[in-house]
Amino acid sequence: MDVMGYRADRESLVDALKSVYSLVAILVLWEVVGQLGLVHHYFLPPLSEVIDRFVVLTVSGQMLNAAVLTLQRAFIGLAIAAVFGVIVGILCARNAFVEWFFDPLIKIGYPVPIISLIPVFMLWFGIGDISKIIMVAVGTFWPVAVNARNSTRQVDKNLVWSARMMGTSDRRLLWRVILPAASPGILTGIQIAMPLSLIITFVFEMVAGGGGLGALEIAGVRSFRSEQVYAAIIAIMLIGIALDRLLRYARERLLAWT
Amino acid sequence: MATSTLWEAERVPAPFDRVARFAFDWLPLLIVALLWSFVSGAIVPEAILPAPLAVGAKMWELIVTGTVLPHLFISLVRVFLGLALSVVVGVALGVGMAQSDRLEDFFDILLALTYPIPKTALVPLAILWLNVGTKTAVLIVFLACLLPIILNANNAAEDVDQNLLWSAKMMGTDGRRLLWKVVFPATIPEIMTGVRQAMPIAFIALVSAELIASNQGIGYLILTSGQLGNYPTMFANIVIISAVAFAAVRGFEELRERVIVWT
Repeated sequence: MDVMGYRADRESLVDALKSVYSLVAILVLWEVVGQLGLVHHYFLPPLSEVIDRFVVLTVSGQMLNAAVLTLQRAFIGLAIAAVFGVIVGILCARNAFVEWFFDPLIKIGYPVPIISLIPVFMLWFGIGDISKIIMVAVGTFWPVAVNARNSTRQVDKNLVWSARMMGTSDRRLLWRVILPAASPGILTGIQIAMPLSLIITFVFEMVAGGGGLGALEIAGVRSFRSEQVYAAIIAIMLIGIALDRLLRYARERLLAWT
Repeated sequence: MATSTLWEAERVPAPFDRVARFAFDWLPLLIVALLWSFVSGAIVPEAILPAPLAVGAKMWELIVTGTVLPHLFISLVRVFLGLALSVVVGVALGVGMAQSDRLEDFFDILLALTYPIPKTALVPLAILWLNVGTKTAVLIVFLACLLPIILNANNAAEDVDQNLLWSAKMMGTDGRRLLWKVVFPATIPEIMTGVRQAMPIAFIALVSAELIASNQGIGYLILTSGQLGNYPTMFANIVIISAVAFAAVRGFEELRERVIVWT
């Protein structure tokens, strides 16, 4: 199975056909079932209508607007969490006092199903962009911090000692030894946090509105336009695939030396 | 007599030491709680940030009077059904894809396409199909947990020690017995790792579904008590679901250590 990416060695056409026939079959089946009316139109509108709706929403700019809103919220929140998470994580691993203070908080905070705090953030910060961004930042902080902490702890002691022995200053030690050595783990944390940032944004948009792909979807449900729900999910899928690729590519480029 | 007191003197501090250690380790939480109680009322209105003691009292009240129990029960049923379903389907698919090229060719691309979708984005679709309620929540939990379990089961089944398989075959084990007696047991540790990874996801999926599409369950209670301005209840329910999620994960880890004794 190869969920993680394309198989590079797919050479023959037969193999390529083998790998996509199921998708084609399902899409054709979807269209046929929809056209014949075997399933109620509301549950499963024909694929052509979904694509039609997708094109209409895209051309009118609505889809793009919604996607930009959602991605903005998710990314600003994730960026804030990445900065604070990495700082706290590294400090936890390097400083006994910070470790003492934050370890129990992380133990308690990490398992909280973060989505359950959405009503709290609505109460504290309202339902606007700020509220969503802070929520994403708080929710994605934990995986980033935990992974940064664990990977910093696992940095080879000999590396640190050797650098010290050669007279490396604290700052240079951090930038030249610890951060590079911990970066694979830090990137893993961000990779875990990225889908979470989207999950938080979608659900917040569904609960509180304010535009974005989540709001677009739930509006489709409320106005009984199921094509719109499917069209929004297709957009979400494309974004998800693109981001997944992007992170993999970034990992390969940034960590080429590992 | 003297030796006995000496022995006592040496022995007594040990538990105290452990208590002191425990208190020292968890002191930061107490500091945060004290800070929280100070901020609540003094800086932020108590309505917006109820003091920890008020939240604790509310929790106690909700549990003792039993008002929260039916909701907690339905939430647990949903998360359990969704997770159990994803284990059954996920293990069957994961092991099946490792055993059969045809299954792999069929599902490979479908999984590659659905893998990057945050599953909570499918809540509106689930509402379309199943309306608001338990079925929707179970479906979302199921979908959210399915992929990590398939991945772990598949990796494990592909990595089963060839020597084991050859030995079993040499001793005349046929296909079905091979699957049940050799392949499945060998994959159990990794399947349990998959379940462990899926558990926090299951609770996130559960609460998402209950916030958006439910009229029962803890998620629903959190949302409605927030909308009604009943903030202590809202906070109390958040603490309850977090504690349950934490206990479920810890309990499963304990279970895993007891079950997997052969590795």
